[in-house]
Amino acid sequence: MLRHLINRLLLTLPTFLALMFVTFVMIRLVPGDPIEARRGERGISPERHAELLKEMGLDQPIWKQFVDYAWGILHGDFGTSIISKTPILHEFLTLFPATLELTICAMAFAVAIGVPAGVIAAVRRGKLYDQTLMGLALTGYSMPIFWWGLILILIMSNTLGLTPVSGRVDLIKYYYQPVTGFALIDSLLSGQKGAFGDAVHHLILPSIVLGTVPLAVIARMTRSAMLEVLEEDYVRTARAKGLSAKRVVGLHALRNALIPVITSIGLQIGTLLAGAVLTETIFSWPGVGKWLIESIGRRDYPALQGGIMLISAVVILVNLIVDLLYGLINPRIRHGK
Amino acid sequence: MKSVKLFGALLVTTMLAAGSAYGKSLVYCSEGSPENFSPSINTTGTSLDAARPVYNKLVQFEPGGTTPKPALAESFEVSPDALTITFKLRPGVKFHSGVNGFTPTRDLNAEDVIWSFERMWKADHPYAKVSGGSYDYFNDMGMPDSLASIEKGADDLTVVMKLKEPNAPIIANLGMDFATIHSAEYAKFLMDKGTPEQFDQIPVGTGSFQFVDYQKDAVIRFKAFDGWAGKPKVDDLIYAITPDPTARYAKLKANECQVMIAPNPADLDAMSKDPDINLMSQAGLNIGYLSINAQKPPFDKPEVRQALAMAIDRDAILKEVYQGAGQKAKNPIPPTMWSYDEGTADYEYNPEKAKEMLKAAGVAEGLATDLWWMPVQRPYNPNAKRMAEMMQADLAKAGINATLVSYEWGEYRKRLQAGEHQLGLLGWTGDNGDPDNFFFLAGCDKDGKPAGQNISKWCDAKFNELMLKARSLSEQPDREAIYKEMQKIHHDGVAWINIAHSTVFEPTRKSVTGYKISPFGAHEFQDVDVAE
Repeated sequence: MLRHLINRLLLTLPTFLALMFVTFVMIRLVPGDPIEARRGERGISPERHAELLKEMGLDQPIWKQFVDYAWGILHGDFGTSIISKTPILHEFLTLFPATLELTICAMAFAVAIGVPAGVIAAVRRGKLYDQTLMGLALTGYSMPIFWWGLILILIMSNTLGLTPVSGRVDLIKYYYQPVTGFALIDSLLSGQKGAFGDAVHHLILPSIVLGTVPLAVIARMTRSAMLEVLEEDYVRTARAKGLSAKRVVGLHALRNALIPVITSIGLQIGTLLAGAVLTETIFSWPGVGKWLIESIGRRDYPALQGGIMLISAVVILVNLIVDLLYGLINPRIRHGK
Repeated sequence: MKSVKLFGALLVTTMLAAGSAYGKSLVYCSEGSPENFSPSINTTGTSLDAARPVYNKLVQFEPGGTTPKPALAESFEVSPDALTITFKLRPGVKFHSGVNGFTPTRDLNAEDVIWSFERMWKADHPYAKVSGGSYDYFNDMGMPDSLASIEKGADDLTVVMKLKEPNAPIIANLGMDFATIHSAEYAKFLMDKGTPEQFDQIPVGTGSFQFVDYQKDAVIRFKAFDGWAGKPKVDDLIYAITPDPTARYAKLKANECQVMIAPNPADLDAMSKDPDINLMSQAGLNIGYLSINAQKPPFDKPEVRQALAMAIDRDAILKEVYQGAGQKAKNPIPPTMWSYDEGTADYEYNPEKAKEMLKAAGVAEGLATDLWWMPVQRPYNPNAKRMAEMMQADLAKAGINATLVSYEWGEYRKRLQAGEHQLGLLGWTGDNGDPDNFFFLAGCDKDGKPAGQNISKWCDAKFNELMLKARSLSEQPDREAIYKEMQKIHHDGVAWINIAHSTVFEPTRKSVTGYKISPFGAHEFQDVDVAE
């Protein structure tokens, strides 16, 4: 197991290097630079432009900039934001809890609805429920996040008044400093009456919006995995033994069907982090997605590079954890043997 | 140790909670996070807006207007030779106390004013290099070339500013955000602590609101400060950072914020019909124009540029691109600005006459040109691509084949400045309400070469001479006569084709009173109240 873990970790190194290089080059291929991006109509003289490029180290050959950057990362230094002059790691760690909280809630929403829905669809294969669910899943998968978010705001917030429009907290009623960066925890720590409920309230719409695509994927995946398992001999045997339908489906079939579902959940984390870019913008959610979008507009190279590297690290880590989870769910799978 | 930290955090949050939530609050939906809280090193409206509640300047524009009024300076006097300005500072002006552990021991004095200007000006200033040390606005407004010295006068409340040459617009320049007055004592406090970079992140000033907290990409909080200008009408001012305009509008409708920036043009109609929303509008202090590169033949001939001005149907552009929310421009300065010349005879739309004029000027039918359009939406041009397409069709009627060109915004601006274009769309929003702040866009240096902002590369010796003369005069009526003459030269020479001055919209909840749209796009809340 340990050898497998070490092997997997070593395998991530070339991925990181390639990612670092591609990100570095691609960002610089985008026209414009951080100085011009800030100037607008006012423009800047070529002399002053050159002077500022030099101050930022952007006058150096690309290969040298890359070597310096890679050297910094090897020493745990992701650079400093050109715009805010704050270390990238600090900015990332300040914002990442918000993204993680939203991702976890969105995934919880997707799993809580997607798995049971997929199971029921498999059990009722071909019936109206199954067809409706698969139709909805396809719709959910194809829906543009931005459009879906705005529609939900219009209906749930503006028309029905059930949820707040955006943000993480009612700014007038509550005020607490982030301690952990997770609104659910910080609201509890604040000791303010109603703050936790308010934080939950603010999480509803963004979680639904971000969780919709994974929900559709999980529901479809669960359904097809269950259909396959339900055809297996041991399921038939269990039924023949007179076990209740609930026990057969819930214990014997579902447990084995979960392996591909968990793989899919792991892969969906990457999708969620990518989807968070849009969801965070619509819901003014102060996470890394929104930060990256602004960094693109401002050509804040260190923030973009560092942000992408750190998010990639999270995705790789999640996939590693998922890999290890296989062994726990199905003891027949043993890594490294 | 961890439990001590947790207890501390709990204590802080409880204390913070106790200090908030019960006063009268105003929430402003802003569009982005500030880069920092120091106007001297900022150029973006988002960052300047975020710092403005905290600070004051020597002179400030009247709310909603363009006239500089005494602020931290209760009066100022310009010497007869216009080379010395003496500012008398307001006595008893307090700085915010308790922010970032700083407690001021004295009121505002000349030291603060000198410190603030010298930071931007002198390379050996202890804070010159802090936070990157780039003072773009100070440099762009030509302050290093204008200033000879800034010194303490006869007493602690007198500041004497000496100029190298007369410069009447400088008073308006001093009303701009870069000329904010900081606390020299706070700067020293942080330098002694070894954290000078906090100076630009945790602001201390004399403004109507005291900084409380900033959570990146989420919220900025201020509380009312009973300072020299009196206590504001709201207790808490909260900036809810909301980047998406549709989400801002939804928040305004849900009363999650009471004032919002930059509405989506597509939402304006719905806003105007919403019973809870007051859609305020004002003629913008801006100009959208088509630059004609006067150094590239055949556009170096004035009659060719005049023909182009007659070939473009600006009424149609106003209707389609601006959706009627603007005014056709005939002068380079907007009509709300003093010295605007009502008497200018605008170019009529007449493609046939334009064709004839081109022929008379020796321009062959089917002349090929490029026509650049900006890849961004700006207050003075809501849809540059559509505008360029309409112009392309108009020019075709006059026998000119225009090819549309665009680049990434920064690249676009750089190439225009280098004069790579033949025809290119751009515009300007005023910084300070002084006409010079528009005319300089067509200015040239003493050698007759186009200055950096002059993308049309049009140089007229008389125009330039008058511009310099107007700067040397301190009496407004004298300057006004000169600017009217300059408008005539600009019109006849077609330094660029004036397209339109757009209307600026700002929606607020109907419960908001006292809010005024700033001609400069600033957002100010000193006099704003909100009904509970």
